[in-house]
Amino acid sequence: MTDEPSGRNLDGDAPVAEAVVETEEATITEDAELERTIGLTGGLAIGIGTMIGAGIFVFPGLAGGEIGTAASASFAVGGVIALLVALPTSELATAMPRSGGGYYFISRGLGTLAGTVIGLSLWLGLVFATAFYLVGLGYYALDALAQVGVTVGASSEAIVSAIAVLAGVAFTVLNVTGTENAAKLQNGIVALLLSMLTAFLGFGLLEAFGVIAVDTPPGQAADVWEAVPILSVAALVFTSYLGFAQVATVAGEMKDPGRNLPLAMVGSVVIVTVMYVLTIFVATNIFTRDTLLASGETAMVEVGRALLGPAGALVIIVGGLLATMSSANASILSTSRAIYGVSKDALLPRWASRINLRYGTPHVALGMAGGPVVVLAATGQVQLLAEVASFLHLIMYGLMCVALVAIRRDRPEWYDPDFVVPGGPVIPVLGALASFGLIAFMDRLSIGVGAAVIAVTAGWYFYYARDVELKGAL
Amino acid sequence: MTRVLVPVAVLEGETVSPGLMSLLGTVDVTVLGHHVLPEQTPPDQARLQFEERATAALEDLSEEFRAAGGAADHRLVFTHDREQTVQRVADEVGANALAVSRPTGDVERVLVSLSGDVDADRILSFVETLVGDRDVGVTLFLAAGAEMPDEAATDDAATDDADPTDATDPGVADEQNGAADGSDGDEARLEAAADRLREAGIDATTERATEGSAFDALIDAAAGHDAVVMGERAPSFRSFFFGDESGRVAAASVGPVLVVRNRPEPAEGDADATPDGEE
Repeated sequence: MTDEPSGRNLDGDAPVAEAVVETEEATITEDAELERTIGLTGGLAIGIGTMIGAGIFVFPGLAGGEIGTAASASFAVGGVIALLVALPTSELATAMPRSGGGYYFISRGLGTLAGTVIGLSLWLGLVFATAFYLVGLGYYALDALAQVGVTVGASSEAIVSAIAVLAGVAFTVLNVTGTENAAKLQNGIVALLLSMLTAFLGFGLLEAFGVIAVDTPPGQAADVWEAVPILSVAALVFTSYLGFAQVATVAGEMKDPGRNLPLAMVGSVVIVTVMYVLTIFVATNIFTRDTLLASGETAMVEVGRALLGPAGALVIIVGGLLATMSSANASILSTSRAIYGVSKDALLPRWASRINLRYGTPHVALGMAGGPVVVLAATGQVQLLAEVASFLHLIMYGLMCVALVAIRRDRPEWYDPDFVVPGGPVIPVLGALASFGLIAFMDRLSIGVGAAVIAVTAGWYFYYARDVELKGAL
Repeated sequence: MTRVLVPVAVLEGETVSPGLMSLLGTVDVTVLGHHVLPEQTPPDQARLQFEERATAALEDLSEEFRAAGGAADHRLVFTHDREQTVQRVADEVGANALAVSRPTGDVERVLVSLSGDVDADRILSFVETLVGDRDVGVTLFLAAGAEMPDEAATDDAATDDADPTDATDPGVADEQNGAADGSDGDEARLEAAADRLREAGIDATTERATEGSAFDALIDAAAGHDAVVMGERAPSFRSFFFGDESGRVAAASVGPVLVVRNRPEPAEGDADATPDGEE
């Protein structure tokens, strides 16, 4: 087993590799040091900030509309799967605290083909997820307009797409030109969201258990407590859990990675799972599923209105705007790191990771994230976007679990994780089975689009990077 | 050995003026080349693209420092957080002072501020080493109201214990006493500090400001001096909004500033074990 990546791509570039020393505070290379600046709070904010937008503010209407209170079980299933994947990811991340996240682990554990497919699917999966968040943002913006008296009537879907596209362009431009550090803002937004939700859910739970009573509209549709619909909804809402592995994309910048990476990943999954399950419980307790279905993506606004009047609706609208924005922004940041990881290993042309000296930002990678996001956001297809994003991520999650088993078996000399998943191969094997299994419950169209993306990325490997050898290298 | 850390944003074209280089000729220097990146950019990505250019610039700078007299080495860091990087490297190399690099000509006279809750003993011994046997004048400066730290604090501990008004919290206690006995005491301490420097063969004078804010007084006094030496202070409410004091002094006085660090050199190994328990 070699320690160095080797081979050249079609352009004649070889993967960049050199010996580095990792400390808790910095990565030390031969001539330079890379400061680790993200703490546990920052890591949690990336994880929670990416996830919370979708699960709380977009899905309750869609999921609760399909199966009622049973959707709580769907979210719980999603949370358990996410946890089964987050633990193996933590072990890999503490052994290889580098930018690139899932791509890096899979290319080192399973070789270049799997690495290329996952690296490029991670990029495209994030693109789909970002487009999904932006469409969600569009729906909340529309509701905000309606709240101040602007109604758009029949063409509301076109307006949502237009808002999503504008927001996509704005985020891309801001990320290319913005040199202010927005990390503190992101932390603040996440803290604000969590406290708003805690208050809201606390009130909702009091109502659910009859301590206080509000008028709930009548409805007949009963909850659907059956395994297949629950799992199928779980496959849809799994998009709400796509944030924890994004923490691994900033692994190279995390302080004390041995401690903070596992805490941030597992912690963010646990926190959002609790929030999601409670939110669905409260929402479906107030509205039956036909009412939820009728209000669609922004059903939570109606839930807020029923619980707390106009003020409740306002809180949810503001929360929804903030949460979908923070999800979209965090995803765009992860995308540029995913592209960088792949480009550094010569699986994409080197120019993809160029930085402009004026703003210090990776404008090419951000453009490669923002461009397709805008196109996809224009479709306005919430469910399709969400499921394709989930599909591409689930493939990566499953392969990360496989990579962990493979890398433990091969035991490269450098493999020395600070965090070890207990129970031998049990958790990674369960994680892989659950990830691949969930795909079976997805919509056929989503599976088709996802499989097409995978096929294209595999084709790219054979065309561009067949001679690059990454397996077992550090 | 006395070591000064000189942070330089090499990739933004920042450099070190010849005046500051020759001023630092008596001490060892670590040039800290840093490049601050927005959070969109992984530091490693910037390293890949800019490392060679930055290293070449840093090697030139270190060479010039060596030509100016002292030993010099360099570090290059890509970071999202300049402050964190400067503090970490300063701890690691055991730097006695940080330089805020600004243009200056030949340094003939240095303003040394002893205002505020700073470690005067460390400042004075740093100044002794810095000036050495060169013909550089020193003006010791103390702003009114700002209590000067008692350089012999440890020796006086016994008497302080007997005199509670003067002991427990110098910041508060002396501000109240300042009007009564503070000004004579300040004068005496300032003079004692000047005597200490004169004994070391340095041309030292003293200057006290009696009105206005300590910061404005320092800026006024800095006119006619080529560089400022001051002590490190704990981050405050003000520094949170306006940036740290040394940066503001450097900007307002249009000259380099040397900040003498409080912390003693860290023990080998775990530097962050006791972040709060400095004593």
